[in-house]
Amino acid sequence: MEENKKAERKRRRFAARLRSSKGVICTDVPSPNIVLCNAGQATGLEKEMIHSFISHNVSDLSMPKYIAEKGETYSYLVFESVAAASQFYNKCNGKLKIDENGTPLYMNYVENVPSTDIIINHPDPKGLLLINDFISEVEELEYLKLFDWIDDKGSSSLKNRQVKHYGFEFRYGSNDVDLNDPLEEKIPIQCDKLWSRLRAHGLDVGQPDQLTVNKYTPGQGIPSHVDKHSPFGSTILSISLGSSILMDWKHHSGKYVPVLVKRRSLLVMQDEARYDWQHGIQPRTWDPIIKTQTLENGRRIKLITNDTISRGTRISLTFRWTRSARCQCVYKTLCDSVENRSTDDLEDDLASNLEDLHVHQVYEKIAGHFSTTRHKPWPKVVEFMRNVPTGAVVLDLGCGNGKNILPTNDILQIAGERSIGLLSECKEHVAGISAADCVRLDLLHASLKDECADVVICIAVIHHFSSRARRLQSLSTIYRLLRPSGKALITVWAKDQTKANYLCKTKSQPTTNQVETVLGINLPVHENRTQFQHKDLLVPWKLRNVSEKRVVDEPKSTLLRYYHVFEEDELASLCREVNLCVEKSFYEEGNWCVVCTKA
Amino acid sequence: MKLITHNMLTSKCIKGVLTGFPLAINATDIKIKEVDFNSEFITRVIPKLDWEVLWCAANSIGHSDGLPKTIEPKFEEDEEFLKKAHHVLLEIEVEEGHLTCPESGRQFPISKGIPNMLLTEAEVQ
Repeated sequence: MEENKKAERKRRRFAARLRSSKGVICTDVPSPNIVLCNAGQATGLEKEMIHSFISHNVSDLSMPKYIAEKGETYSYLVFESVAAASQFYNKCNGKLKIDENGTPLYMNYVENVPSTDIIINHPDPKGLLLINDFISEVEELEYLKLFDWIDDKGSSSLKNRQVKHYGFEFRYGSNDVDLNDPLEEKIPIQCDKLWSRLRAHGLDVGQPDQLTVNKYTPGQGIPSHVDKHSPFGSTILSISLGSSILMDWKHHSGKYVPVLVKRRSLLVMQDEARYDWQHGIQPRTWDPIIKTQTLENGRRIKLITNDTISRGTRISLTFRWTRSARCQCVYKTLCDSVENRSTDDLEDDLASNLEDLHVHQVYEKIAGHFSTTRHKPWPKVVEFMRNVPTGAVVLDLGCGNGKNILPTNDILQIAGERSIGLLSECKEHVAGISAADCVRLDLLHASLKDECADVVICIAVIHHFSSRARRLQSLSTIYRLLRPSGKALITVWAKDQTKANYLCKTKSQPTTNQVETVLGINLPVHENRTQFQHKDLLVPWKLRNVSEKRVVDEPKSTLLRYYHVFEEDELASLCREVNLCVEKSFYEEGNWCVVCTKA
Repeated sequence: MKLITHNMLTSKCIKGVLTGFPLAINATDIKIKEVDFNSEFITRVIPKLDWEVLWCAANSIGHSDGLPKTIEPKFEEDEEFLKKAHHVLLEIEVEEGHLTCPESGRQFPISKGIPNMLLTEAEVQ
């Protein structure tokens, strides 16, 4: 009896707390919805635990829907009826323990539960066709027997899955095939019946000559990609065996559509789906369940529900048609046959996304390691600052870890930086300098007063802006912040590295020019310590762990930073465009540098 | 954040905001950190500041004691005043709190001594 009273007191206390701090309204009237007051996503509760718990403790109860919001210590169960919920409640409230040593679960009825469904408004990509039950269960077994493998013999293991090739080997460095080097093993004849079946479905595409078999165990996936345009024809087929999977489709306009690819289905990619969308599979052991709904106006929408389903091992057969011509598609964004793509005229929101992904996020991740590699102020900065008079207001925009903030107490130095990781390092660095301070800001929208600065330095920053308009805007900011006759030192990376120590003499030019796809923009990945081959590119940063400010181990991952490298006079002419008077323009250690004044 | 820095900050970049200056200070943690006094620096930097804004800022966080509301002519000869100005400009650090845009009410958090002046794409002009 005493126990019951205690449990009742606790339950009421939880109800009051949920109401006041989370706005969750508990009720004493039984309803199909129950809130678990002291277990949720943040406490490590998972759907499986609830289910196994119910099947062990309350038999004959159909499984409720489990809703857990991120970061919360409570969660919800939605039963099919009030009776089912009551049965669970009466049996478990204040008694049930998630683990042996844990505290009991306390629960309350609630009227409403939050909807965590995510609505997908976009239709499937054009040119994407899914034919369910394209092969029978018997055929599925037959193909599994034919293509599955247990050991690694004849297959190669990629980072996140196993693959095997027929007809031609798919080369992962260049994402193509060598047409002069066909494999002995052709596409097995057991597949021949598929081609006539394709015709019966109205797909007159002939017979493919290349097959890649991928084996994904639960937890494995494939990053978002488009099959390279030029080496393969306008149709790509994919048959799924063994398990269904949720495939993510992303368009460079920002559209995202999840597509349920069922086992035994055929996925046909043509047109936009083939050339203009990227597809990928998340590396996880489960997929959310997708519901489709028809709205009143007849439009169909998809809902990503909070419910999940476990994945099994899936084998996919990807059939392609090889070719050697240039791609003639009209979708230029992802096309490798478009040469020398420059990001100069990139739309602003796309440029901003690119910088967020390949500049801001990267610097946050590498801040600690980056900082250990940069200590001393750059000699040209020291030289420039020597002539700055006492009492001057100096802005260091894009200050990084503050290495160019000088240990002097006769000028005001304000260090502005976007990365909080780098700025925290900077704050520590300037702690002993009388008149130095840090502000987190963005150079494009710097929150400083017009004409507040006698001097601005902007060292190795502007090459991170990915469109010409944004590079100009950053220089306009410098112009705005300088008081009349104020002076600036601006430096950027030069495309020409031949006169710098940067080049490694023994390193030859890389033969293959790897292309990384970024938000639908193809950018080449630079080989460190070689001459730049392009003006807009991604530069790898090999991240190492840092402990006690010292690098302690081997690189653990490689991150790609975006750079626009400058030609001679490019920076100076941009400066002139925003009315800055260029006093000096010079090359120094792989950088183009400009000293300019506001007239 | 030092008060000399506050003197230069504005929220003018926000869409629809005209001057965005001065930002109101709300401080929950203030530290005093002694730093070297350089009278020539203080003398030369004062004319570049908006003194009234500095005084109001110092006053709003309870540190305006003994600080004159206006600058006297020949202030550079007044060692005591220069030391007081030095203290208010460079030694008072707002560690935690926030700044508020006088027009839009947008708040900018100050954490570990660093004001975060970042704006989202949607907020800027």
